[in-house]
Parts: sequence; C-alpha cells; structure tokens
Amino acid sequence: MKKIFWVALLWSGSAAAFAAQPSPSPAPNEMEALRQQVQSLTQTVQALQEQVKTQQEALAKISASPIPSPAAELATTSPSPSPSAAPQFPTEDESVVATTAQPTPIAGAIARPQTAAVNQSFPTTDTSLVTPTETISTTGAGPSLTAPITIAGGGRTYMNISFDGQFALAYSSDRNLDQLEVGDHDPQQRGFNARNLELALDGAVDPYFQGFANIVFKLDNDNATEVEVEEAFMQTTDLPWGLQLKGGQFFADFGRINPTHPHTWDFVDDPLVHGLFLGPDGLRGVGAQISWTVPTSWYSQLIFGVQNGRGGTGFSFRNPGEDGTFYGRLTTDREIRGLQDFVYIPRWENSFDLSPTQTVLVGVSGAFGSNETGANTRTQIYGADLLYKWKSSHAEGGFPFVKWQTEAMYRRFEAGRGVDQSFPVAETFHDWGMYSQVVWGFQKGWTAGLRGDYLHMQDSAFTDDFLRQSRSRISGDLTWYPTEFSKIRLQYNHDFLGADDFFAEREADSLFLQFEFILGAHGAHKF
Amino acid sequence: MKTDRLTNLFLTIFAGLTITASAQARLNVVATLPDFASLAREIGGDNVDVTALAKPTEDPHFVDARPSFVVKLRNADVLIDGGAELEVGWLPPLLQNARNPKIEIGQPGRVQASQGIRLMEVPAQLTRAAGDVHAMGNPHFMVDPIVAKAVAAHIASAFSTLDPTHASQYQTNEKEFENTINARLQEWGEKLLPYRGQSLVAYHDSWPYFAHRFGFNISLFLEPKPGIPPSPSHLAEVIAQMKAQKIKAILVEPYHNRKIAQKVAEATGAKVVDFCQFPGGLPNTPTYVKLIDALVNNLAVALK
Repeated sequence: MKKIFWVALLWSGSAAAFAAQPSPSPAPNEMEALRQQVQSLTQTVQALQEQVKTQQEALAKISASPIPSPAAELATTSPSPSPSAAPQFPTEDESVVATTAQPTPIAGAIARPQTAAVNQSFPTTDTSLVTPTETISTTGAGPSLTAPITIAGGGRTYMNISFDGQFALAYSSDRNLDQLEVGDHDPQQRGFNARNLELALDGAVDPYFQGFANIVFKLDNDNATEVEVEEAFMQTTDLPWGLQLKGGQFFADFGRINPTHPHTWDFVDDPLVHGLFLGPDGLRGVGAQISWTVPTSWYSQLIFGVQNGRGGTGFSFRNPGEDGTFYGRLTTDREIRGLQDFVYIPRWENSFDLSPTQTVLVGVSGAFGSNETGANTRTQIYGADLLYKWKSSHAEGGFPFVKWQTEAMYRRFEAGRGVDQSFPVAETFHDWGMYSQVVWGFQKGWTAGLRGDYLHMQDSAFTDDFLRQSRSRISGDLTWYPTEFSKIRLQYNHDFLGADDFFAEREADSLFLQFEFILGAHGAHKF
Repeated sequence: MKTDRLTNLFLTIFAGLTITASAQARLNVVATLPDFASLAREIGGDNVDVTALAKPTEDPHFVDARPSFVVKLRNADVLIDGGAELEVGWLPPLLQNARNPKIEIGQPGRVQASQGIRLMEVPAQLTRAAGDVHAMGNPHFMVDPIVAKAVAAHIASAFSTLDPTHASQYQTNEKEFENTINARLQEWGEKLLPYRGQSLVAYHDSWPYFAHRFGFNISLFLEPKPGIPPSPSHLAEVIAQMKAQKIKAILVEPYHNRKIAQKVAEATGAKVVDFCQFPGGLPNTPTYVKLIDALVNNLAVALK
C-alpha cells in the first residue's frame, strides 16, 4: 500500500519536473538546474523511504509485544502515526470500563461444547468473579470510615441524606383537633396536614465521631412553613470500655417513644402520657450524654443525659409556657442559676432473648429538674417501659411478627405560686399515665395495631387547664407498607374526655389517613 | 429460695464477665450470616468460637437488630460480614451500640467477605423504582463455591493475623477446604451437566452466582421486582413465559411464600425446589459443603 503511494508520489514529482520544461531545447545552465532539482528530489525520496522503513520496524516490534503500553506506543508512533497503526491502539480498557461480557458469562457457559466438558474437568477458579488472593488484604485495603468505598454504580458518599414526607388526612367529630391531639407532629386540623417533613443527615465525621442531623419542616394550619432543628449531635465511635459520649441537640433517652422520630411510630399520633408529660415535641434539648454497656452476658446499658431543659421542648421543666403562663401560673424565663436548673435524664435498659424468636426489652427512666412556676419548684418524672417482640424464624421482609409495647410514667410536679406570687396556693401534682399497644404484622407489608391510653391528672381546686385533664383513648389502625420506604395508614381514635369546658362533647371520634414517603439513604433503626 | 435466685444472678454476671476474659484464649468470631459462620468453623476448627447472628431460615435483608446481638458484637474478636449492603438494614445500629474497636472496618478483626469479589448485576443506574436493588451489586455471592474459596482464604488470613500461634493450622484447614471444594465441584458439575443451559425460575433474585457457576439461566422471578411481593398479573405473565420456555423448576427459599410458588407450579407442571443460601436452612445441611450438595441434588432431582 505505502510503496504504491510513494511510487505515485515519485512519479507525479518527476512528471511535474518534466512538465516544468518549457522547451525541447533547454539552455545548458537550465539543464544543470534541473539536474540539481532531480537530485534533491531523489534524496528527499530516499530520506522518506528510510523513515518509512524505521516506522515499519517499530510497528513490528509493537505488535510483537503482548500488552502495548499506551505511553510507549505514543512515543514510537509520534509525531506522525501511520494509518495502519490505528487498530493497535487499545479500544477497550478494563481498568476503566468494565467489559459487557463480565456480568453475563452464562452465555459463555452455554456456548462451551457440552461433549468437551465431560472430559474437561470442571473449572475450580474463575477470575471473572474472584480476583487473585494476593490482592486481598485484611488490613488497610478495606474501606475506612473516613474514606467510603467507591465502586462503579455504588452511590457511596460521605453522608447519608434522606427526606421523609409524612402527611395525614384527618377528620374528627371535635373541631379542636389541635387540642385533642397532644403531639406537635400529630394532625392538627380537619383536612390535610403536613406536620413532619424531615431532612435527615448522618455519617462518619472522622475516625472518632459520627454526626446526625434532623431538620424538620412543618406546615401550620395556615400553611405557613415552620422549621425546627429537631436533632443535631455528634457521638463518639472509639471510646474504650463500652463507653459512648454524645453532644448537641438530641432527644432524651427516656422510654420508647421519646427518643424516636414519628415515622418509626406504629400509630399516627403521640400517646397521651408522652405528649402531656414530656411535651408535644418530646423531651429534647441541647446537652450531653454518656452511656455505658455493662459487661454482662445479657444486654444492659446505663445512660445518663444532661440537657438545658429550657423552653417548649423541656415541657415539664424550664418551660415558660404559652403567653408566659403554665398550668395557670405566671412563669419566670430565667438563665441557669446552677446545677439544679439542668434536666438530668438517667436510664437503664436490659434485654433478654426468651427464645430464638422472642425478645424482651425492659427499661426504667427518669427526668429530674426545676420548673418555672416558682422560685425553687421542681419536677420529677419516672418511667418504666416494656417491649416484647416475637418474629417468625421464617420471616420474609421482617413479617410476620407481634410486638407489644407498654410505657407508664409518673410525674411529681411542684407548681409554685407563680413569679408574681399571685396564684393563691402552691400545689404539688401527682400525675400518672400509661399506654399499651399491640402491633401484629400479619403478612408481608401489612400490620394491624390496637392501643389503649390512660392519663390521670390530679385535680386542682384552682386551675382548669386543658393540659391538665384526665382522659383516655382507644385507637386501632391498619398499615400497608408497599416497601420500607413508603406507607399508608388508616387509624381510628375514640377519645374519652373529662367534664370540662374545652371540648364540645365528652367523647370524640377521629379518623386519620396517613401517607408517607422516604427518599434517599435513611439510617437503619434500632430495635 | 431467695438466696438461690441471688446466687444465680451473681453467677450469670460472673459468667458474663468470664466470657469476656476467656475470649483471649479462643478467637471469638461473630458472623452476620450462617454461611460465613460455616466457613469460619471450617477454617477455625477448635481454636475459635463461632456465632451467627441471622437465622438460616429468615430473610437476610430484614433481621431484627436484637440487643443480644450488641453483646455478641461487643465481645467479638472477629466480625465477618458480607460488606455488600445485604445487612445494611440492621448491622449499622448494632455496631454503633457495640462500640468494639477491634471489629471496625480496616481492622484485622473485620472480614468483609465481598472484598476481592466482583459482584454481578451492579446497577448502571440507582433507582428504587427498580425495587430493592443493591448499589454495590447482587450480594448473594456465597452460593458460588469458587467465591466461597476466596472468602475462606480471606477468613484464614484474618485468623492467622490475630492468632499467629495457630496460623499454620488455619492455613492447613483452608487448603483442605479448597481441595474439598475443588473435588466436589467436579461431582456437582457432572451432576448438573445434563441440564446445562436450561432456564429456571426463582422467587427472588438470589441465584445469579449459582446460575453462573453451573450454567443455568435464571432471569424470571416470581417477584415482579426485587423485594416486591408477587402480584396476580405478574404471576400470569410468569406462567405464560414458563410454558413458552418449558421451564421445569421454581427455586424457593425457606422464608418465601411457598403457596404462591406451588400455585405457579401447578399451573405450569414445573416443580418447586427447596433452595436456601444458608447452611442449616434445609434439612441435613449443617455445613457449607452439605448445603451445596443439597442444592445440587434437589435441583438435579427436579430436572430429571
């Protein structure tokens, strides 16, 4: 091919040279000039031929070596790669782009002649699946906490990010759904509610800490957006002796419901005792916590938390209340005076496996601090909780299961005479309440639940506050989880309300249709 | 009576403390799943105590993060997990609570079985519209004996690092396991050879590695998408496809709804074959090798 090309070039060159001759009888000096021209042309052609020869040799060398390194190839073929060199340049690179054949070798297996396979021994290695063992290392080579593994197709990042949208369509025979329901994320009005639109972030901060954040957006009854930093905390990962420290804004580890987010709840709304003792937002605040897993043969953990306990999220504690009154008393809203003004939250939980399919978890919690209804008034809340779960040994998708959860709380609340001493008496309230619920996951994706709520608030001769009404409730619900990332729940509540001026009737019926979606990588849940 | 109970309580506490102390003598190995546990027993022999967290008969995607697992992980010298997101729904909160630096990722006490394994079916695009798809690829890789050999080698090297006095024994056991697998592969391969190239139906997409090894084609599933329960319209389509392709076997795992598979089998004349990814999930399958034996036999009988 190339030779023809050079011959053609030579021919056209000489043809041009002849064509340049103006007359049949050129002058001698012209002849001399032509001769020189032809000579120089010949030299050029010889030089070019030499160049082609060396190039061909180089190409032969390259094709002889099995794996041409792209760099070497570039060096030999530059500056003028000849056309025939093109196929030698690699068109595929397995280190960058996986070959299509890799995950579908079934075709190859079928293509193998079946008669040959009888004599041929069955392969005992397969490099398409297993890389040579030399490259496997138990130390260091694995992904570290600070450098998440990145694999083609794997969407691994430094942070899990998820969004949880929870909505409810509500009807109630009572107009004051915002007073009937005690949780801030519960339905607050007839019609549609969007009370928990939650952005959740979590990940490893560095080899020593993990970070979590939950930012909740809510739409109020006038569809105005409210934002709350529900949780934002760091916790240690690397302390010895089973210790863990936590710091930031977080839910107090009190009982079962308080430390969890509404989307993990088995019912649409907050149990009465939780909402009216620990607050509509739950007991949470800025603080720190230490926990220790006791070195016993069963699961036993001691937790001790300290929080400011100030504001609405420290409901029974340093809560100035709405419009500066709480339980009818005018409140102070003061800075911390000393250690007595923090809320201290101890908890001890234990768990046992009754059998391979049955687990029990029991816990006792406390929350102790001061409140704002007097100069030195204090609040103590005690809680006990029990969880029993049975899950089939042949569970698919976590179903079927039966879960029974009960929490009881007792609160001692010293109500002072108010900041201006205007309230006639100081009182001490002894309040208690509990809820008990059974959830039955009867088939994959389906649960049915039944819950009973009871709340006893000590009567006060001097206050008539809707937050201090003894009441009870019975609830039933049916939930469908199309996947673990979505759910649709229908719940019926029947409320028994005390004799008071706050509700139109002594009883109320409510119906909720809750729907929820979760986007992104949502952290796994605790037991 | 009362003092008896008190003594019992103290004894339990004491036992708990001594378990922690005696861990230094024998390697305390925790495996997330029973298949890793079986391999750990093969390699470790009498020098290790092995516990599996998940039951062989339950869905490995959804295991409860029971608090007792926290205790097991807290006392572990070695944790063997898949490392391919199969346990992502329950292992992270357990590890957070266990607070055991020995089994952190990157430590010699942490074996992630998928290391060095090229996972199949890595999704080109991540979308949950495709169902429960694993970002890193299909995590049910242990049912390929060649992969199991690689995992065994990985476990042996971890044990040798942590317990150098028995290193040679671990290496010997690993070699023995490798030889057993190599020998058995010939038998298994021969047994399934007559059916090579056939198409099978599975309830869930757990078997691409098994299919790849023994030359089957499994691309039809009773689940319309991974993790999504079978719907009547999808089953009708599967039945039509099975009739057209003359598919003779439906692979069902212990935790799947066998009734649905049975109905499909009746409609198509195919057989329901009991399959399981985990040793102990089928009768008389205490070890990994026995499990693969059972899979091969069950399938060969059904296809005969």
